Amino acid sequence: MSSTLYVERASPIHRLNPVTKLVALLCLLVVVFAIPQWWASLAVLLLVIVPAAISSGVAARLARSAGQLLLPILVVLVLVQGLTYPGGRTVLWQWGPLALTTEGLMFALTIGARLVCLVLASVLLVLTTHPGDLMSALTEQGMSPKFAYIISSTLQLIPSFQARATSILLAQQARGLTVPSNPLRRLGVLMPLLGPLVLGMFTDIEERSTAMEARGFGSTARRTTLVPVRDTRAQRVARWVIPVLALAAILVSLRWIG
Amino acid sequence: MTAVRFENVRFRHPGGVEALRGVSLTVAAGERVAIIGQNGAGKTTLVRHLNGILQPSSGRVLVGERPTAGRSISELAASVGYLFQNPDEQLFASSVRIDVEFGPRNLGCTPAEATARADEALAAVGLSAQAQSHPLHLSLSERKRVALAGVLAMRTAVVVLDEPTTGQDARGADLVAAVVETLAASGRTVIAITHDMDFAAEHFDRLIVMAAGEVTADGRPADVFGEAQVLERAAVEPPQLFRLAQRLGWPQRPTGVQQFVDAFAARAPR
Amino acid sequence: MIVLREVSYTYPEAADPALHGIELNLQPGSITGVVGASGAGKTTLAKVIAGFLPRVDGGELTGTVCVAGRNLAELSLVEAVGQVGLVIQNPFNQISGAKYTVREEIAFGMENLGTPRAEMAARVKQVAALLRISDLLDRSPYALSGGQMQLVAIASMLVLRTPVLVMDEPTSQLDPFGTRLVFAVLDQLQQAGTTVVIFEHKLELLQAHADRLLVLAGHTIVADGSPTEVLADERVDGWAIGSTRYTRAARLARGRGLLPVHGALPVSFEQAAATFGGAR
Repeated sequence: MSSTLYVERASPIHRLNPVTKLVALLCLLVVVFAIPQWWASLAVLLLVIVPAAISSGVAARLARSAGQLLLPILVVLVLVQGLTYPGGRTVLWQWGPLALTTEGLMFALTIGARLVCLVLASVLLVLTTHPGDLMSALTEQGMSPKFAYIISSTLQLIPSFQARATSILLAQQARGLTVPSNPLRRLGVLMPLLGPLVLGMFTDIEERSTAMEARGFGSTARRTTLVPVRDTRAQRVARWVIPVLALAAILVSLRWIG
Repeated sequence: MTAVRFENVRFRHPGGVEALRGVSLTVAAGERVAIIGQNGAGKTTLVRHLNGILQPSSGRVLVGERPTAGRSISELAASVGYLFQNPDEQLFASSVRIDVEFGPRNLGCTPAEATARADEALAAVGLSAQAQSHPLHLSLSERKRVALAGVLAMRTAVVVLDEPTTGQDARGADLVAAVVETLAASGRTVIAITHDMDFAAEHFDRLIVMAAGEVTADGRPADVFGEAQVLERAAVEPPQLFRLAQRLGWPQRPTGVQQFVDAFAARAPR
Repeated sequence: MIVLREVSYTYPEAADPALHGIELNLQPGSITGVVGASGAGKTTLAKVIAGFLPRVDGGELTGTVCVAGRNLAELSLVEAVGQVGLVIQNPFNQISGAKYTVREEIAFGMENLGTPRAEMAARVKQVAALLRISDLLDRSPYALSGGQMQLVAIASMLVLRTPVLVMDEPTSQLDPFGTRLVFAVLDQLQQAGTTVVIFEHKLELLQAHADRLLVLAGHTIVADGSPTEVLADERVDGWAIGSTRYTRAARLARGRGLLPVHGALPVSFEQAAATFGGAR
């Protein structure tokens, strides 16, 4: 059972400090959403995201995961905006009240390109960054360790919840419960299990909090981490330079283009 | 009559580890079989084939003389009752009684019949007084006995128990032992995994030792506990009185208190 | 090292105390076993000694609990847990749930206390070797079996090197090999000066490893002495703690007139060997 989407590779993207990646992701999103032109998103996509994805060694996995997320959204976007965009004048094709307009398509392209950047870059971060490393890195940057604990344990709770649900369902079948293959009726069988499942989790969390205290969780000492978070001077500099560059790009585009 | 049969069963986990490496054995109806061995030896993997939670990668498993292949877990549940190692994976209802009635109801019992069976099973595990309690308000050892009652109430021909005495105090362990004896007396087959060698020696008539996915010994407890090398490989040691008889240099191999004292009586000049 | 004076504890909203009239004085560097039927108050006593009651679960505690000469009530929880380590009964709830490898899971407590990294790494390695779980260090804590999880839970407390270690049924999920290993580790801890309190049902091992055995029954301590004394006590049946097979065999042999009826019943392997070997 894997509790993360993280894919282990020895790539330069994997080796980056998680905070560097997070800063880069946030700056990149600010840029594509601040600059209204679709080609800005395209440039970010081709000049930053695609090279990063290729060098990460998880490009295929990224394409698959992001594709599953993006495809339905993009189809809906093109259909809805392309056909019903209120400012559409240049009609390419018409059927009754529906008109496919150039303006509509351009609008869909602008929004779509931003979404592609958003999803690809975020999924790339998730695939190349172990959540444990991300939490350690953020804690080193001053985030509260309790907050980090809540995030990490919640992320892990989901797979453990699934595992527990599977075990309970197996145990029920072992006592003669027939699980229907019809998904709706299956849901009917699963629903009654939800209450005890959640209740059991709460009991566990209560006991776990005792165990956490026994391990000094309430300590106010400055925390240390077993696994060092990789960092370099270049990255420390980059974490300041990237936001500055992003800001510059936005200002330039507003001044000269907008 | 054969209760269950494993024919050269191999099982490989999706991860790639081969947990069972060719197990063949037959258990006759009414036998009491204890399976011992280290954690990770494949004991739980083996018995999970009996109710179809696992299907062999190769080989066959037969329950009631029919292969388990193609039979669902819920169908096999009518023949094989299964006590899970962790009771919290088994209990789900808001009261002990409702939980114990769950199995019989699935098997088609009328509500009255299910209630009667639940009462009997709860009495057998010493929890009649807790019938109305919420399972989460009981201790872990009590929850394990509630789970055991849930299996007993199904009255299956074969009963599989995964570490039934874990965490039990003296009274709990005695209750579990009495359950095994009662099941055997009614002609049902009991297959138990256990780390408690005294329990295995005193209440089972056949012992199977597993190590690294294979059966390394299979026979009467008195014989198996004499095989020092096999036991060492499986990292288990014989029960208390068996060791004591060995130490005293007696030829007898007592597996329980009664046999030990009988052996002593045979030696003591009156 | 640990002194309890007239300690009683009642859980919130409970009518009757879960423990009452507890008097206890544990010497440093000793192993104390505690036995008792389910519901006798073992887990409650473990939490009281560790300073968790009433601090965490509420309820009312009267009397005093002193560890290393200091009153637990006057210590902060963090100071208390620096003195007393607690291994809780369910190993699945001992782990933090926030770590992705066993290595980091074991280090979690040390991270909280700000232990330097090199020392953490060394201590994790040492404790893993001690409990034979070195091969699990890079696994996910969620991918462990019950027995493996229990060893990791024990390791995660041992690594903190508290002067006192309280363990609530620490071998329940272990095979005989793992169980013997844990008791062997307790012997080592004791030699290093750690005070150990272990709540267990396995009488033969307690007899062999504990310096002292306490019996809890009816929410109070009803017997306190060397394991041999306590297990041979004639009131033992009333405490519902069971008895070793050696004792049971000797009783039956006495009943059948095969052994003289005077003197203490054998409790351990060695005593039984003397009883049954010497009688001929």
